[in-house]
Amino acid sequence: MPDPKETRIVLDLADVHKTVHVGFRRRPLEILRGVDLSVEESEVFGLLGPNGAGKTTTIKVALGLMRATSGSVELGVDGLGKVGYLPENPYFYDYLSGREFLGFCARLFELAPEILSQRIDELLRDVGLQGAASTHLRKYSKGMLQRIGIAQALVNDPELLLLDEPMTGLDPIGRVEVKRIIERLHERGKTVLFNSHILSDVHELCSHIAIICEGRVVWRGEVAEALDEARTLEDFFVRVVTA
Amino acid sequence: MRQLAAIAANTFKETIRDRVLAVIVVFALVMIAGGLWLGAISLGEQGRMMKDFGLVAVTGFGLIVAVFIAASLVHKEVDKRTVFVLFSKPVSRAAFITGKFLGLCGTMAVVLAGMGLFLFALVWLLQGSPSFMVLAAVLMIYVQLLAIIAVTIFFSTLGSAILASVLGICVFVAGQLSHNVLALTRLGSNTVTEALSWVIYVLIPNLTAVDVKAGVVGEQTLAWGQISLWVVYLLAYVVVVLALATVIFRRKEF
Repeated sequence: MPDPKETRIVLDLADVHKTVHVGFRRRPLEILRGVDLSVEESEVFGLLGPNGAGKTTTIKVALGLMRATSGSVELGVDGLGKVGYLPENPYFYDYLSGREFLGFCARLFELAPEILSQRIDELLRDVGLQGAASTHLRKYSKGMLQRIGIAQALVNDPELLLLDEPMTGLDPIGRVEVKRIIERLHERGKTVLFNSHILSDVHELCSHIAIICEGRVVWRGEVAEALDEARTLEDFFVRVVTA
Repeated sequence: MRQLAAIAANTFKETIRDRVLAVIVVFALVMIAGGLWLGAISLGEQGRMMKDFGLVAVTGFGLIVAVFIAASLVHKEVDKRTVFVLFSKPVSRAAFITGKFLGLCGTMAVVLAGMGLFLFALVWLLQGSPSFMVLAAVLMIYVQLLAIIAVTIFFSTLGSAILASVLGICVFVAGQLSHNVLALTRLGSNTVTEALSWVIYVLIPNLTAVDVKAGVVGEQTLAWGQISLWVVYLLAYVVVVLALATVIFRRKEF
């Protein structure tokens, strides 16, 4: 009999390496040096690390945007059809309105035409963009782009959401709005993994974190565990990264 | 299938809403209208001159639009990082390449239809009777440009947009000449040259086979049965080139 309390792993990376070749002489550059990471169902998981540590590459490898040089990547959900992704500093199609863009994304998931319009209305309401639904994306502010980016990541009602720096560059109101969206997703049982340098947001939202440094996961565990060892998450992060 | 339609429709919107395209089309219409002036100084050959100049203008401007848009289609998605949105969803590389191609085919159909109908109206005005063969010639220009769009998209998966544009134009020029080069080398006795020209003939689409401009201007009878077979050949060529582009694009990481 399976343990009913046993939680499902929705993303599992084991000993993932990624080497790219750069420059004219195709010099090898190892970005990931054996990343081990497991994300359980319904968690809000924070992926932390200094710039260039490999956070974005880890997400890209998880999505298949980049291929792992070695190691295994397993999605515990039913393929990319059940995954949502918000890229860092998102840029979308300038010439489309918010509604047209979401319609385009919904069609990529082959959503039935009869539910498409209703789904788009729901998403626009959830991210507070009903008033800008017909405005072209080139006229959107950074905060609005971030919110439409989250809406496109939710268009397929995903089980797993990967958000790359969702709060970066937003003003305090924009940050609060994005945090509320993540909280609502958590309440609905969605699994969220996000990268961030804003440790107060990570503290507020995440139950679990992993710290990546120089292409390796150097610490992972519960936020509460980290706070047992240091006064603040920032202190803990600095101690782990500089150790 | 719905994915393919979504990507094609999005590409169509992207390209048709581009203001540069509108400027090129307006300029093309002015150039075509310039045929009226050429006709006026051509001593009784107004209709013929209008058709000749107009069809060349449609070809030239169609080529510019096709090559420059096709070369940037894939690169724009990569440079502006919208590929992340596409390929983080269950979208295949084949659907992406084919969708981009079909979307641009839609735009080219609108552009050529606009230029073609304008030319048709001017020729009607000059001759006093409609010349539907002008529209048939524009349709054949469209078929030629489909092959060039596919080739340019293929090159854009290999290198930069500028390189793809240059190579796309080179293939168009070579496609007008490959048949003649083969015929010329057959006259000589050098087997290496003949073999080489055969290779070029196979690799480069034979665009002259569907070029009916001279026949339409000269009001000759055209062998449409044979031309139809060449249209099928060019469409098969497009399928093969797009399949190769997909194979190359599949290897790309973002």
